[in-house]
Amino acid sequence: MEATHDVLVVGAGCAGMRAAIEAHDAGADVGVISKLHPTRSHSGAAEGGINAALGNAAEDSPEIHAFDTVKGSDYLGDQDAIEIFTREAPGDIYQLEHWGAFFSRREDGKLAQRPFGAAGSPRTVFAADITGHVLIQVLYEQLVKRDITVYEEYFAWKLVENDGRCQGVICWDLLNGGLKTVGGKTVVLATGGQGRIYRTTTNAYACTGDGAAMALRLGLPLKDMEFMQFHPTTLYPTGILLTEGCRGEGAYLINSEGERFMKRYAPNAMELASRDVVSRSEQTEIDAGRGINGSVMLDMRHLGAERIIERLPGSRELSMTFAGVDPIYDPVPVRPGAHYHMGGVETGNDGETELTGLYAAGEVACVSVHGANRLGGNSLMETITFGRRAGRAAAEWALSNTTVDVPRSAEADAERELKALLDVSSGERAWQIRNDLGTSMLENFGVFRRDEQMTTQVEIIAGLRERYKRGVVVEDKGEVFNSDLTQAIELGNMLDLAACMLQAGVARKESRGAHARPYDYPDRDDENFMKHSISRWVDGGPELSWKDVRYTKYDPMERKY
Amino acid sequence: MQVGLKIWRFNSRTGERELQEYEIAAPEEATLLDCLDIVKDQHDGTLAYRKSCRMMICGSCGMRMDGAAVLACKMRMYDIAQSGHVPVISAMGNLPIVKDLVVDMDPFWQKFNSVNPYLQPGYEEPPDGKEHVISQQRMNVVHKEALCINCGCCVSECNAMEADPMFTGPQALAKAMRFVGDPRDGQKLARLEKLNGEHGIWECTRCYFCNERCPKGVDPRDAIAKLGAESMKEGIDRDMGAKHAKWFVTSARTTGWLRETELVPKTQGIVSAIKQTRFALDLARKGKVPPPFPPHVAKDVREARRLHDLVRDQGRNGFAGIVQGEHALARLAHGHSGTETLEEIYDRPGAYHRPFIADEEADV
Repeated sequence: MEATHDVLVVGAGCAGMRAAIEAHDAGADVGVISKLHPTRSHSGAAEGGINAALGNAAEDSPEIHAFDTVKGSDYLGDQDAIEIFTREAPGDIYQLEHWGAFFSRREDGKLAQRPFGAAGSPRTVFAADITGHVLIQVLYEQLVKRDITVYEEYFAWKLVENDGRCQGVICWDLLNGGLKTVGGKTVVLATGGQGRIYRTTTNAYACTGDGAAMALRLGLPLKDMEFMQFHPTTLYPTGILLTEGCRGEGAYLINSEGERFMKRYAPNAMELASRDVVSRSEQTEIDAGRGINGSVMLDMRHLGAERIIERLPGSRELSMTFAGVDPIYDPVPVRPGAHYHMGGVETGNDGETELTGLYAAGEVACVSVHGANRLGGNSLMETITFGRRAGRAAAEWALSNTTVDVPRSAEADAERELKALLDVSSGERAWQIRNDLGTSMLENFGVFRRDEQMTTQVEIIAGLRERYKRGVVVEDKGEVFNSDLTQAIELGNMLDLAACMLQAGVARKESRGAHARPYDYPDRDDENFMKHSISRWVDGGPELSWKDVRYTKYDPMERKY
Repeated sequence: MQVGLKIWRFNSRTGERELQEYEIAAPEEATLLDCLDIVKDQHDGTLAYRKSCRMMICGSCGMRMDGAAVLACKMRMYDIAQSGHVPVISAMGNLPIVKDLVVDMDPFWQKFNSVNPYLQPGYEEPPDGKEHVISQQRMNVVHKEALCINCGCCVSECNAMEADPMFTGPQALAKAMRFVGDPRDGQKLARLEKLNGEHGIWECTRCYFCNERCPKGVDPRDAIAKLGAESMKEGIDRDMGAKHAKWFVTSARTTGWLRETELVPKTQGIVSAIKQTRFALDLARKGKVPPPFPPHVAKDVREARRLHDLVRDQGRNGFAGIVQGEHALARLAHGHSGTETLEEIYDRPGAYHRPFIADEEADV
């Protein structure tokens, strides 16, 4: 074993770093494993903001925030978790500010808050349109201040279960090569999402669901896997994110006829309806032939140069670089793109999973705050609030004198498997399967879902998994920075997760949040499906069951914006 | 489109370097990073480079194209491919190469860590537990420095670091300015003292390559200038660099020209100047140095003095003066007509914030 720690955090985005800081402050010795340097994590690409009911811009309260979140989740969010979330969020924001976060300010010097989709009050704290970047920086600064050990460019490959507990992680050391085992009395998964399952996604290349796949293979339950959020404004053709903050600042969505089409779908909230609603509206327009190159247009021209430059400089830079359009002068082509996975490893309110010693927080986890549809600005807040809670719980458990033991057999198994991966000398390369997966998922499991397409996709994934099992050729056999190897492993993770997503999607015979089946089940069915789907890996495939939503006081009602 | 690339490969095991040429088919919107992906997937799986967000925010894919640092994901290839040019791609400079386009970032992060890159609060937490109340204008002072994504492009191109690998360097110094200029930080003087030490701000040669190559508009050299100005404002001027800068001001005020003959004793001190007497005489003999007496006074020296007095009276010293100038330039770049008064510009609806004025610091 390379080293052992009280608390071992896997992933160094916002949730991972927040968990590490909290565990350290609780007195634990903390190690952080990340396949990227912490500041390269994809939390840094979050743009628009982070939600907390501070009430700086208008009257607001945790209760209103909770109501908005429950309604936005299409009543699939667990209400006790949501109440904790909205109650603790303001304190977490103030702490980030005290640590030095560079948030935008109001005229009176308090933190500014902007309107976001489906929010009853301007609640989104922001730093221009680089909020994630600012948070990643401030959290890394705090990591440096505490001198917390970071295993940079360690690719986490296998969780070690021993004696009924999670006791460590087997990693591939990217920079130097070789398998390295790091032990932990407790392990916190904070590995983010898996948007790379789709061809057009806002997600980084790193977002391949490694943590969820590791947990799945250990037999742990994944929750609500069918719910992939499609963000309404991703740039054509690359899928790069333009923040909801554009619409929060007042941008319009127009179709090829120059019409603000949202008036037909959400006459009150217009462009600031919830994301599932806006994405469906866009897709309907595009499918009806009122798009341009499969896109609609995001029009910011009326905001004026100064507002765009001050509040949305990053969006302007992205539009100019990747679409060749300056939003001050021209509308920007956008379309729905895979953005955020509401589902993930099932956890309790302190990030605890079914396996003793294993915790999860952030996008990899499903507490569930977001239910069937996440509100913009709630995911950054979730990483901080539940990252903190998971870090605290993991530290408290670890500090009760537990020992760490990773059996030699676990390492030997991993070494054998690695050799098998590297020994494949003829066959396909990983990118061919990856491209087929991304293209087919977008086509058959996108914004709208048809039964026959999903059935087809189940078969396609089975075929892709078969091809993967036959072996993909890793051309790089070397030790140093072998990203060819890690990309092959990542593909395997994505294939298994996609299989879970499809099985849950076929079984959910209703339309709820991001899971829209307008052709066979156009309505929400609370009687049969106000339930979480639970996916487990049994005998080399996913197995589905259902679990009740935790309910406090918010009765389901029709969702209109 | 067809794209040609020449890539400097590096084999860490054997230490061999080799320039390999690739010809690939790529979609027209492809960036350099997209092209590298095509090479790795379809031509040579052993090619190594870092990547993640592909949207200019994670800072992973810094590398050199034709000898200058770029973010691969920001570099659209269409024009280059159309021109028929085959660019040379190599690893960043000033950092040890690990493999192909991957460098060891450890020296970079060590320098980052050396400037205590975290807020050291100078205030009690607000009694209500809420946020510090600070104007946006006051925070805007470090806006550019806060944009830094730690990609290393500035360090790659830093000439001073090439001469002295121990130089703290543009990224770490920009990070230092991020906290020196933050009104919530309480360690400004201690930070400035350290930054005026060995390998600190005055080792910068002002070549401006960092400003030129930063993909995010951080302008590290300007951050270093702000640190220098703030140091002198706080009376930390023992370094030759500070003395050198101050002599420029004195010289311009008194005679309107730079008096180079006096520059050496004023900057390096008398002893050092005497040691260089022979060199100075040689220069004088070749007509490279004007005779020191009588001092050559510029015809329009009064204007130079007026300018100096104006700046002094407005209190535009320290980082605030530089920031104020930057904001004025930014406003010009984003176009007002040029005929409006400043009041008109700031008062119109939705106008840009009035730039930070030095004496507002007292209100923070």
